[in-house]
Amino acid sequence: MTKHNFRSNTLPSVIMVGPVVLWLVFFIAIPLLYVAVMSFCSIDESYNIVFRFTTVNYKRLCDINYVQIYGQSILIAVLTTIVCILLAYPFSFLIARTTSKSKAFLYMLVIIPFWTNSLIRIYGWRTFLGTSGWLNMLLMKIGLVDSPVNMLFKRGTTVLGMVYCLFPYMVLPLYTAIEKLDKSLLEASSDLGAKGPQTFFRVILPLTSSGIFSGSIMVFIPTLGYFFVSDILGGGNSDVIGNLIERQFQSGNNWPLGAALSIILIVITLLLVKLYQKCGGDMESLGV
Amino acid sequence: MKKIIALLLSSVMALSFTACGGGTAGEGGSESAAAPTGETLNVFVWTEYVPQSVVDKFTEETGIKVNLSTYSSNEDMLAKVKAESDGAFDIIQPSDYMVEQCINQGIIQEIDLSKIPNFSNIGDAYKNPSYDPGNKYSVPYLGGVGGIAVNRAQITDDIDSYADLFDPKYEGQLVVLDDFRAVIGIAAKSLGYDFNETDPEKLAEIKEQVLKLKNNIKLYDSDSPKSALISGECNLAFCWSAEIALANAENPDVEIVFPEEGPYLFFDNWCITSGSQHVDAAHKFIDYMSRPDVMQEVLAEFPYLCANTAAVEAMGEEYSANPAKNPPADVIAKGSYVKNLDTDTIATYDEIWTELKK
Repeated sequence: MTKHNFRSNTLPSVIMVGPVVLWLVFFIAIPLLYVAVMSFCSIDESYNIVFRFTTVNYKRLCDINYVQIYGQSILIAVLTTIVCILLAYPFSFLIARTTSKSKAFLYMLVIIPFWTNSLIRIYGWRTFLGTSGWLNMLLMKIGLVDSPVNMLFKRGTTVLGMVYCLFPYMVLPLYTAIEKLDKSLLEASSDLGAKGPQTFFRVILPLTSSGIFSGSIMVFIPTLGYFFVSDILGGGNSDVIGNLIERQFQSGNNWPLGAALSIILIVITLLLVKLYQKCGGDMESLGV
Repeated sequence: MKKIIALLLSSVMALSFTACGGGTAGEGGSESAAAPTGETLNVFVWTEYVPQSVVDKFTEETGIKVNLSTYSSNEDMLAKVKAESDGAFDIIQPSDYMVEQCINQGIIQEIDLSKIPNFSNIGDAYKNPSYDPGNKYSVPYLGGVGGIAVNRAQITDDIDSYADLFDPKYEGQLVVLDDFRAVIGIAAKSLGYDFNETDPEKLAEIKEQVLKLKNNIKLYDSDSPKSALISGECNLAFCWSAEIALANAENPDVEIVFPEEGPYLFFDNWCITSGSQHVDAAHKFIDYMSRPDVMQEVLAEFPYLCANTAAVEAMGEEYSANPAKNPPADVIAKGSYVKNLDTDTIATYDEIWTELKK
């Protein structure tokens, strides 16, 4: 082993990869490990974390109230994902199949709102949908309703907010998948006598399913954690797992329990990604 | 050999990382040293509580720069102060029960009241609080009452207690603080129990009572419950008196009611952290914030219950006679503070709260 060898082989790769590895170790691996360790810690009488092993945090996770909130989170996430697919699919199709000029325009329609902070946009919805908001004023003006409709602070409003926040994460992978679709296959399908719906369900949908899969993963997982949406639009009536975690790190002041809840969220995420891989999903289209 | 060198290299990199960190911290320090008086106070306060204009005037008068940062929960503040290095914060603003916790955890230092001549402006009723006997560690700033707000244009019934909020006829009309101690506390009060109840049997009863609120609560909001009152989204509220005062200014139909059980009380205080590097400047700041003219400016913007009796008198009749801005002394006397509870009881509280919110 000579010095020369080291210089030409190892040194460049250490220099190239080293910083990234350090970054991953210090900012991802160690914090995650810390969360995992903390989830087995106890708290003392003044709510400080004590490094004394306990499984009590995990036992508390099985509390029926918590389990019901996991259920509610999953319900909200499923609804959000379905609504996102239904809205984003035609839209992505439009982007993929239009002229390049309007393509850029449509693309900007999705992207530009996301240059504004999502909290502000969510508050905007709250003002818009309120009993004295614009939508109710409009409905009353045109005589559809006599008194303001209660729209806010329901599970439905939480789903609306989630859909609004996560819509682009569904559009982007769908667009990529549809863009890749080979037009000659559609021609072949119609040559062989398939009607529109038949072509869609037997050719287009199977071929773009990878986009639907990765879009769903990218919408479903954040929904479980977006506590601010359920706080602001759900009014605290439709909590997701993210709210439970936030509460333990803030007012509950029980960090080990919060850490255990975070671990649950990580486990759910990993299971879903595993499932996605099992179904033949491509890790690259998740941006991993 | 290869491995050793690789290891060496990566450790050099790791070192340069920490060196970078150290470097920037050092620069930060020298930057503050270059300021006019060479001092920068790091003041950590509640959101919407200390007007920037007031702080700017302090800098004008004394030449001491002030970095104002904000928090929205006591626990959040405590966590940050504990996580940061000494001197990251000089002054903090913990509430009653948190002052006690800060003293127990050694986070705050004793205040030299001889350096705060304006302490004399604090009313006797606010001196010598239960959470800090003799004001050794804290100087009271502002506080409030967890009152009931009623929109009289919509609700004409007699409402005079927390117990009334539990009536099923107010379904979907209520906005409450998003705070488990506050909501469980008033449920306990409505049953005639202590605000900080710890008895498991009574807590089981309290749980039943809390769950009655489930259908009544439309919105949990600690940040700005007044908005829901002003917009007419909710006709009933359990929230801070100052929020009710602000709602009343926008919509005169919104009135404050003090519960006959005695209200939930809080008081926020100025404290100096143990790690403070600018103890003298910190005393100057607290003294400045206790001056009547300064507090008048604060009250004009944030009409909370004020410990500074001299300032309240100077605000005139309009202020002192408004019950939402200046709750009467007999109401305050009946009130209860949140107390620090043992972890088992808190776990029960958390259970009740989760069941309410699921």
